[in-house]
Amino acid sequence: MSLEGKLALVTGSGRGIGRAIALKLASQGVDIIVNFFRHRDSAEQTAKDIEALGVKAEVIRANVGDPAKIDEMFDMIGNKFGRLDILISNAASGVGRPVVDIDVKAWEWTMDINARALLLCAQRAAKLMEGRGGKIVSISSLGSRFVLPNYTIVGVSKAALEALTRYLAIELAPRGICVNVVAASAVETEALKFYFKEGLVKNNRQVTPAGRMVIPEDVANVVAFLCSEEAFMIRGQTIIVDGGTSVGLFTLAGK
Amino acid sequence: MTIEEQIREIIAKITRVDKSIITRESTFKEIKADSLDVVQALVAVEETFGIEIPDEEAQKFQNFGDFVSYVENRVAQEEKV
Repeated sequence: MSLEGKLALVTGSGRGIGRAIALKLASQGVDIIVNFFRHRDSAEQTAKDIEALGVKAEVIRANVGDPAKIDEMFDMIGNKFGRLDILISNAASGVGRPVVDIDVKAWEWTMDINARALLLCAQRAAKLMEGRGGKIVSISSLGSRFVLPNYTIVGVSKAALEALTRYLAIELAPRGICVNVVAASAVETEALKFYFKEGLVKNNRQVTPAGRMVIPEDVANVVAFLCSEEAFMIRGQTIIVDGGTSVGLFTLAGK
Repeated sequence: MTIEEQIREIIAKITRVDKSIITRESTFKEIKADSLDVVQALVAVEETFGIEIPDEEAQKFQNFGDFVSYVENRVAQEEKV
């Protein structure tokens, strides 16, 4: 399953799931463009760890919620590398509020970063994948299909992301580009601490049939598989990584 | 306009509060700035002054005055360079 010599952009890869994906791909010989927005130190640490694996790393700051910044990022990739093999649209943000307290600002902020960014990044990435094919994988969550407390905007943005993935998968298929999405349940990351604080998730260790919470590496393993040629016939799918949480909802209801 | 006045305008616009209530001692809570407002203010200030304010630094701001002082220092450093 070697991806030797490929070039990947992983948005939001300074920390958490993005960092785990970047390191996993790097361990398979992929050069990585580490995108970050708010945490430069973490991004630079990720880049160092990638280079320690014997591949190249480039750090680019960009708010993927801002179309002009996405353009700047891809202009830089185009000028410097002239190609891209893998796009991982992982960067995410969110505002935890009950439905009645959601305002336009919070809605747009979340939708722009979590959903629109995939569209804009995929459009630019497809051009850099022209004639060579490629892989696009984004990261969703169970909130796209199940109701979690105060998770409305993020859940809706993830549902949009999953729907967009299906359209991209079909329309980009003739260009040899495979597009899929990985949806995880609560993953043990820095971001989760924020969600705990905002009351978005409760400790779900007890309600995961697999007996532990999902960790970033669980998601990264599936993403790496979707980036491999072995996954060539998987298109437009949402692959759930949740230790059985979603299919065990009723059996776990009493726990 | 001074750096302080420019940042005050940016925050007032984002939080929709009257800028006259924003003093150097005002906390973000007093200005009615939630976490999203703070991030948007940081981004707007970064773009206005051409600097980068990492979250690690922003988390240390106790009030509007800390925010202003940080930006003033950074802008002064940039000018030296």
